[in-house]
Amino acid sequence: MRLAVLAILAILAGLPAAAVAQTSELPTVLVSRQAAEALGLSIGAVVQVAPPDGSRARDFRVAGIYEPTPDPSRLGNAIHAVRLHLPDLLALTTPPDAPKGAESVDAINVRLTPGTDALAFSRDVNARLPGLSARPTTDAGAAAGPFRVLERFHLAIAIVTILASTVFLIALTVMLVDERRETVGVLRLIGLPTSRVLAQVLLEGVLVASVGSAFGLALAVVSEGVINRFFQWRYDTALLFVQVTPSVAVTCVLIAIPLGVSATVVASWLLLRRNALRLARR
Amino acid sequence: MIALRFAWRSLVRQPARALLGVLGVAAVGALLFDMLMLSDGLVVSMRDMLERTGFDIRITASGDLRRAGDRMHDTDATLAALRRLPQLGTVLAIRFVEAETDGPAGPMAMTLEGVQGDARPWTVLAGRDPAGDGEVVVSRALADALRLEPGGALTVRARCAASNQVLPPARLRVVGIAEFPFELVGDPTAGAAMPTLDAACASRTDEADIILASALGEVDATAAAVRAAQPRLNVATNEQVLGRLQRNGFTYFRQISAVLSAVTVGFALLLITVLLTVSVNQRLGEIAALRALGFSRRRVVADVLCESILIVGLGGLVSLPLGAALARGLDGILKTMPGIPGQMNFFVLEPATLGLHAGLLALTALAAALYPMQVVARLPIAATLRAEVLS
Repeated sequence: MRLAVLAILAILAGLPAAAVAQTSELPTVLVSRQAAEALGLSIGAVVQVAPPDGSRARDFRVAGIYEPTPDPSRLGNAIHAVRLHLPDLLALTTPPDAPKGAESVDAINVRLTPGTDALAFSRDVNARLPGLSARPTTDAGAAAGPFRVLERFHLAIAIVTILASTVFLIALTVMLVDERRETVGVLRLIGLPTSRVLAQVLLEGVLVASVGSAFGLALAVVSEGVINRFFQWRYDTALLFVQVTPSVAVTCVLIAIPLGVSATVVASWLLLRRNALRLARR
Repeated sequence: MIALRFAWRSLVRQPARALLGVLGVAAVGALLFDMLMLSDGLVVSMRDMLERTGFDIRITASGDLRRAGDRMHDTDATLAALRRLPQLGTVLAIRFVEAETDGPAGPMAMTLEGVQGDARPWTVLAGRDPAGDGEVVVSRALADALRLEPGGALTVRARCAASNQVLPPARLRVVGIAEFPFELVGDPTAGAAMPTLDAACASRTDEADIILASALGEVDATAAAVRAAQPRLNVATNEQVLGRLQRNGFTYFRQISAVLSAVTVGFALLLITVLLTVSVNQRLGEIAALRALGFSRRRVVADVLCESILIVGLGGLVSLPLGAALARGLDGILKTMPGIPGQMNFFVLEPATLGLHAGLLALTALAAALYPMQVVARLPIAATLRAEVLS
């Protein structure tokens, strides 16, 4: 069980900066980077932390500054938070007149030993402890909902982009092949069969599409850093917005190369069907 | 005009090539059109929804959006104090409670909305407003899911104090079907007077999530008066709510729309430039012959520009209906996002969007034609004709 819990800080704003007395006996807290920057806190500083109603404030020493785990659902909100040891938080938040055992926590995180079935464990906990709800962390479907939708949205945009690119690609290959009409005509006239010319075009198509794909991937890798840095700066988060993973790269190559080769072959085939003399303009 | 006609003939002479160019611009233009609609769509849609409710001021405990923040206490006293302000018209307190009901495929999550005040935040579509205890109106989504009609019964188990609390079932009488402007996707709603909600919760808490108020005069001045009267509460006008959403909630779509718009325009620019350049390179001999026959440099340059304008112009026209259809599809995808009001639209067409779309495409046409125009303008007539004859 993790002993530290996340406490949304309600009282950090407006703390006197003068409360910086180096006292090693004080209980310690971790402060989020955003809160530390906003309040000018550094390691060793003493801060007062209190429940939202402002009562029972206690001094804590800042033991460290941490980068909050990137949370897409909190995009755009600066995470002003401190992490306290659970006993300290309970001492702060439990009313003095509360009966013993009235303390409560929101959640308990459990790390299982390697090889343990998380689903079976959660079922077991649910059966043994009625009133508790145990879920494997991989079952965070509800939290991921908006991002599944965004994934579908981006996929739709990608499909439209591929369609537009395909149309342009065919237009370009038709023009490029047409430019080589005379050469193809001469090759046909000196005896090369259509299949031989088509094979040459196919190889050229593979080469051009491969080089184009490699260039596109390189561009994506370079722009990945630029886009991530921009959005991380814009939203003050460590979240990754764009990630060129091996599977994404392979998908792109698997779409781009066959598309490029097909466009070249189709355009060439349309040309090669014509009479060789007409092609050579003789 | 003559240059335009000449450019048209050049395009028609090679219909397949021209058609592919136009289709390519249409596809890219449709995407650009959609991204421009997406850029401000959420804000425009939200503004429309806020204005349709007829309330100008939103009062909450913490300034957070619905259900995210703390509840206001002493609602009766707060409402009474607000009603004493001469600047305010109608005042309405709302409390949202998570609940579940028995759906066709098992328990179904829903929201029970209790209201207290001078107006109702919903519009009755069939039946009537709840008048007595135990009466509710249900949203169309809830009515369709449970096949409810006015006169039917709805059994709910409310979670009033905590999300894991489930109270004994409360049987409510459906008296109408209503439109809830802020009903979330996948979260059907039923609305009732506050006493009915209290009865479902088996306790009277005198709490509200939000108080809506309409201003009789100038909205900002009225909001300031409310702030002065209720300094512990957070008071926001519709414009302030929109501003907050623009800064936080909707920025992702603005950014993604800006990035994709820039990429789309760049893509179109690159490809039209290549199309025109290759086309011009193939016709260098023909252009040199026209120059030799007496066509001026300006005239042949104008031909290339007109060709670009025709491709982009025709593609741009086709892109509008294509973009509208695509926007419907993309909107359908995005509307499945949980936590979004069902009536909100991501893609909203405004006159300014059309103007911006046309402007960007016109700039693209002009910029794409620059290099091929330069090629044509600098064409050495004699050398080109000689090379053409020798080839």
